[in-house]
Amino acid sequence: MVTVGRKPARRRMQVTRGYRVFQAVNAVVLTVVVIVTLYPFVNVVARSFSQESYIRAGQVNLVPRGFNLATYKLVMADDMFWANYRNTVFYTVVATAVAITLTTCYAYVLSKKHLRGRSALVGIAVFTMFFSGGLIPNYILITSLGLKNSVWAIALPNAISVFNLLVMKAFFESMPVELEEAAAVDGLDTYRILWRIVLPLSKAMIATMVLFYAVAFWNSWFSAFLYMDQSDLFPVTVYLRNLIAGATGAGSVGAADADLQTAANIQAVTIVLTVVPILLVYPFVQRYFVSGVMLGAVKG
Amino acid sequence: MATRSRRRVAAFAAALLAVSLSACTGEESSSDDLSGNRVGAMSDYAVNSQFKATEALNFSILYNNHPNYPIKNEWLFWSELTKRTGVTLQPTAVPLSDYEQKRSLLIGAGDAPLIIPKTYPGQETPFVASGSILPVSDYLDLMPNFKDKITKWNLQPDVDQLRQLDGKFYLLPGLHENVWTDYSLGVRTDILAQLNLTAPKTWDEVYTMLKAMKAAYPNQYPMSDRWSKPTPGGALFNYMAGAFSTNGGWGYRNDYWDADAKKFVFTGATDGYRQMVTYLNKLVKEGLLDPESFTQDDDTAIQKLATGKSFVISANAQELVNKYRTTMAETLPKATMVKIPQPVGPAGEVKAGSRLENGVMISKKARESKNFVAMMQFIDWLYYSDAGQEFAKWGVPGTTYDKDASGKITLAPDVDYVKLNPTATKHLQKDFGFGNGVFAYGGTTALLQSTFSAEELEYQKAMDTRKILPVPPPHPYEDAEAEQATLWETPLKDHVAQMTLKFILGQRDLSEWDAYVAELKAKNSDAYIELVNKAYDRFAKQRG
Repeated sequence: MVTVGRKPARRRMQVTRGYRVFQAVNAVVLTVVVIVTLYPFVNVVARSFSQESYIRAGQVNLVPRGFNLATYKLVMADDMFWANYRNTVFYTVVATAVAITLTTCYAYVLSKKHLRGRSALVGIAVFTMFFSGGLIPNYILITSLGLKNSVWAIALPNAISVFNLLVMKAFFESMPVELEEAAAVDGLDTYRILWRIVLPLSKAMIATMVLFYAVAFWNSWFSAFLYMDQSDLFPVTVYLRNLIAGATGAGSVGAADADLQTAANIQAVTIVLTVVPILLVYPFVQRYFVSGVMLGAVKG
Repeated sequence: MATRSRRRVAAFAAALLAVSLSACTGEESSSDDLSGNRVGAMSDYAVNSQFKATEALNFSILYNNHPNYPIKNEWLFWSELTKRTGVTLQPTAVPLSDYEQKRSLLIGAGDAPLIIPKTYPGQETPFVASGSILPVSDYLDLMPNFKDKITKWNLQPDVDQLRQLDGKFYLLPGLHENVWTDYSLGVRTDILAQLNLTAPKTWDEVYTMLKAMKAAYPNQYPMSDRWSKPTPGGALFNYMAGAFSTNGGWGYRNDYWDADAKKFVFTGATDGYRQMVTYLNKLVKEGLLDPESFTQDDDTAIQKLATGKSFVISANAQELVNKYRTTMAETLPKATMVKIPQPVGPAGEVKAGSRLENGVMISKKARESKNFVAMMQFIDWLYYSDAGQEFAKWGVPGTTYDKDASGKITLAPDVDYVKLNPTATKHLQKDFGFGNGVFAYGGTTALLQSTFSAEELEYQKAMDTRKILPVPPPHPYEDAEAEQATLWETPLKDHVAQMTLKFILGQRDLSEWDAYVAELKAKNSDAYIELVNKAYDRFAKQRG
């Protein structure tokens, strides 16, 4: 309340001519940036509702022309689409939960300067940023661990993103040591310090990480494609990817009318269908998102 | 893995020893002894006989799942196949979008199904060295229909192209009776009529036609082409090249087989290539061919056609009907368009192309199966017998199609396929699993053309009479050679592609052709061709 009350006074003092010009320029530039970023997306939405011939003639801009839902209907009428959509949600939730737990634990440990062998542990993580076992060894590993055709094949190999780990480590390092010391004096052990003191103070960081991981898992298709052998286990990304390939490939000799419509705006429909749900997550974590990244990055 | 397969080999060897104690020969000959692999096989299987396993068999198969007709367990195809042959296929469904990648992965990890279809000629080469793929050429005696078609259609030279350094081939290709050409020029016939022109038959007449169009519409390019991404002129150069005794576009290879001289020459430096480039340069120079043809994406080219800015474009049967005509119907209702037979060039009435289609690889481990012989007979029946091919494409007579006494096939009235019965409620591919790209391809010209429209048949009739150019002979490399060839190939190919465009677009004058050839030599084009010819000679001698 206090800050809100103080604001008008401050602003009155600063409104000089130069500041007004600055604001005008700012408004113009930012509006342009917004238009430039929004236009492609609005265009995609418009295309997704447009008729094939208008798309092909390049006549669709902001408003759908020849409004129709043929491709939406085709995609959504397929039971496999919904089955795979459920998989995507399930995989994203499980994999994000696993990833957040493991990354937090690893990062917290690494942030403790008195830990012996700390640099070796960091080294192990960073090593995987540059080198990996390769496709076939990974596949053999996952297969012989019996993870194939299960959610763990997606969740476990990607549970720790080294980039996220390092950001989080930097964040924990930037926390005042005194806080934890005080908690220790009050009789808390390591685990309870993490659970009661550190984590509540890290909500911003965790929210950011949830967003990073969730978006990554939502969009990912490759590990599912590698480790799943049945169509009904695929996430929706693999389903739509295949649909695009089939609609745009030269192999579909003698495509029917419905397929033509599909080929024309399948990409647009796909983008809308996969982007909208994850887009809805943003407003909820956006608040934390800004300050979270700043905290980790600046002080690390 | 290693121990497991070693154990398996050991067990196999032990079994063999037990079966044929008397035969104290080395491993080499025992591996060709099929006596332990005949369970379920027919003893009297021959050309045109119906394959039927003597006991129920299961074979695993890698399945390329097409999104337009996603795999269903209840397809009539599976049940009827089991009824006719006694074989049940167990598919591992892989999305079409990334089929190749998963195939490499599964083969590399030793996890591949026994039957690996949808493999294009050349794609099998990377797997040969690993020893995980069966050298099928060793077992052709088990495949009477395959051998019969090779002989009947004179396909030996085509199949020889598949041979690896060891003289064997590892892919059972799909076989076509004739070269099937689909790509050619699409021309606006209403403009031809308006200008009192007839459809051009030669590339010279194409030039005259474009010239006349330009005279009538001086402010636009009469031709604007597509299929230029990622290979500029991919389709155009490809189907033009045959007429100029060279190759280009999608089909570009650095080595061109000079059938008269019986040796390979460097494609980008041949006279034919120069003639083709010169011709196209003339079109661009005189404003007949849109210079953007080689850089624009397909949609832009089609937009130019649909808005009347161009009249001529590369076409195939499907794109003509599905895209050009439907789009123009909205924007230029009076426009009509046909695909003209490929224009003839200096090489005369010829057509180039391969008669091999994608085909089947077989896992090496299949050889150890007691059902190996039955499996080969089964593959031979399904993919290479007339009956099997008709079954895979059209289904079951009386249910999905009918065949009259003259052999003419008619689709059942309640079934649709390639828009033959657009109002039908059921679909041959989606609801029955026939006409499936995994099982149905190749075959006789009659079978291939049984789905063509009257218009496309007309086109094919015109093309059918042309002489088929000989295919280049095989020249498999030794390992070190292969490495060296790869090092040379890519820079050469890039330079040819780059200069081809510069010459055509007039950014480089054709008088500099000799300088260009010298640049190729500086990039080892001579050494490269020498290597190819050496490999060819050696292989030809080896095979006698």
